[in-house]
Amino acid sequence: MAQQIDPNVLARLNSRRRFIGGGAAAAAALILGPSFLAACSSGEKSGSGPSAAPSAPEDDGSPATGKLRVSNWPLYMADGFVAAFQTATGLSVDYKENFNDNEEWFAKNKEPLSRKQDIGADLVVPTQFLAARLNALGWLNPISDSRWTNKKNLRPDLLNSKADEGRKVTAPYMSGMVGIAYNRAATGRDLTKVDDMWDPQFKGKVSLLSDTQDGLGMFMLAQGNSPEDPTLENVQKAVDVIREQKDRGQIRRFTGNDYADDLAAGNIVVAQAWSGDVVQLQKDNPDLKFVVPESGSTLFLDTMVIPYTTQNQKAAEEWINYVYDRANYAKLVAFTRFVPVLSDMADELNKIAPDLAGNPLINPSQATLDQLKSWPPLTDQQTQEFNKAYAAVTGS
Amino acid sequence: MAGVASSNRQRSRLAPYLMILPALAYLGVFYVVPIYSLFRTSLSTMGGSVYLPTLTFAWEFGNYTRALSEYRDQIMRSFGYAFCATVLCLLLAFPLAYVIAFKAGRFKNLLLGLVILPFFVTFLIRTIAWKTILADEGWVVSALGSVGLLPSEGRLLSTSWAVIGGLTYNWIIFMILPLYVSLEKIDARLLEASRDLYATNRRMFGKVILPLAMPGVLAGSLLVFIPSVGDFINADYLGSTKTTMIGNVIQKQFLVVKDYPVAAAMSFVLMALILGGVLLYTRALGTEDLV
Repeated sequence: MAQQIDPNVLARLNSRRRFIGGGAAAAAALILGPSFLAACSSGEKSGSGPSAAPSAPEDDGSPATGKLRVSNWPLYMADGFVAAFQTATGLSVDYKENFNDNEEWFAKNKEPLSRKQDIGADLVVPTQFLAARLNALGWLNPISDSRWTNKKNLRPDLLNSKADEGRKVTAPYMSGMVGIAYNRAATGRDLTKVDDMWDPQFKGKVSLLSDTQDGLGMFMLAQGNSPEDPTLENVQKAVDVIREQKDRGQIRRFTGNDYADDLAAGNIVVAQAWSGDVVQLQKDNPDLKFVVPESGSTLFLDTMVIPYTTQNQKAAEEWINYVYDRANYAKLVAFTRFVPVLSDMADELNKIAPDLAGNPLINPSQATLDQLKSWPPLTDQQTQEFNKAYAAVTGS
Repeated sequence: MAGVASSNRQRSRLAPYLMILPALAYLGVFYVVPIYSLFRTSLSTMGGSVYLPTLTFAWEFGNYTRALSEYRDQIMRSFGYAFCATVLCLLLAFPLAYVIAFKAGRFKNLLLGLVILPFFVTFLIRTIAWKTILADEGWVVSALGSVGLLPSEGRLLSTSWAVIGGLTYNWIIFMILPLYVSLEKIDARLLEASRDLYATNRRMFGKVILPLAMPGVLAGSLLVFIPSVGDFINADYLGSTKTTMIGNVIQKQFLVVKDYPVAAAMSFVLMALILGGVLLYTRALGTEDLV
């Protein structure tokens, strides 16, 4: 099947940067720096258009065999899930938590992918905007509906997305909200608005997300500008507010999901955060609260995709189908505590974690959902401009 | 027979070159080629798609002006932090190396082992451990706070002090070991001689020990200073939004903004400044022949 997508119209919806401080990944990047650069220059000839449109390898209908290599974000898997999958399918799984950051993953893997070289993973879990970018570059294999029979369990609102109409190449994995997490014991009051983050009482105790879309969306909404219709001017306005607060010493750090440690240790009192992380942290610290500010915030969606360099297409499809079984998926949600992408999860969740089914962070009310916006697909020019504008504050 | 002798001579003339061949080949492949590639990138312009950009070599010196003008603060800060860390390392390491070299007796190896021991733990873990030690609600902060010794921010973590402290802690071993080696080589009879000539302890230190330890001081300070300037892990974990170092900027430019030419130019600016600083330093200490 041909995928004639203009490479300049690279879709981008939500993103979440979950990197462990950037340290390990960045260290590796520095070590790999020279070869990475050499690779860049060798890429001069590779051009910029999408490669030949990929097609899934011939499927003879036989069961999947062999080994499946999964690369996922840290702390995004339930205990015993991989073992249960192996028992159920007879496949062996090499499961790695080495997907730390969308942009960094892309920076490191784009060269081998552009040359169609194996990247050591048969299935990866990028955020939707990156999945759309990979798809536009022609680097993803379609997921066979005949093997993904549980696709019917997907939430109908997620089935048709501008990023992937009918979910042909991306299988949503988890969704979640960006909002404000705070330690009620330390703040002494409830926070409801974005401006509450700038209270002088919290000077040097506030952290923001370093990811461009997750970081900025909430502040754009607070200024009356929706990320659904972003312009460089609006993005810059949000960046300006953040710069002002940074210069005042209000903002302590720009983080990936390492804000969690600082929040737990009391170094940070107010954090821009991802909902699932906060539900996980609440287990140990009931004082932690999560709120979607009155002016609204953004949603993110991570998706399972099969790179066209996969060594085991059938096993990857088997995995996706297994995840899409409601009983299996409930185990994942019970662990990750993010918003399920499958419909009608209440029954299965009630069976294993009754307290979670009613948790508004896992099962948000319609009123909350109405406050949450998503970024539209961005052109690569926009992505570059917005990243640059925000990095001028986060990286300097 | 003359032929055999001359071929032997020839072989022995070639021997040194053959011996450095593997190292040269290694440096050629893993140093010269990437540096050349980095250099070309730093003078290139970027075009084509954002994600698979085409780099065109164009003597684009504008990349360097941008790198220097936009990130002057971070460059200055990096050199300032590295300088402080180097001086601190020297002040802490000298007495320690001196004691190990001259006073430790049979405990010498034990002490050296203890110095090296923490470095079996990875760099990252050691740095993160400091986050726990210096945490806002930790005992160090409350102890310092009770005697009024906290910096103006009212915390230790996420301050310049924490970053400089982290740099000092992480690189100090590279100061201790060269200092120890230089001190250990000092002939004890020279110290005796200086005493015989009625030198006070202070004069003995100034006229005998310190000059003889200079190669160690020089090597140690270079080994600490150079990696400290380019370090970004300490600033990342122990610093705040106001302690960003040039390494953090380069990392962000390469991996997030993906402006490879400016990132490469910044790397070269950093290298050039370090090289210039090192040349001045070795010249000032007058020990070029000793390194």
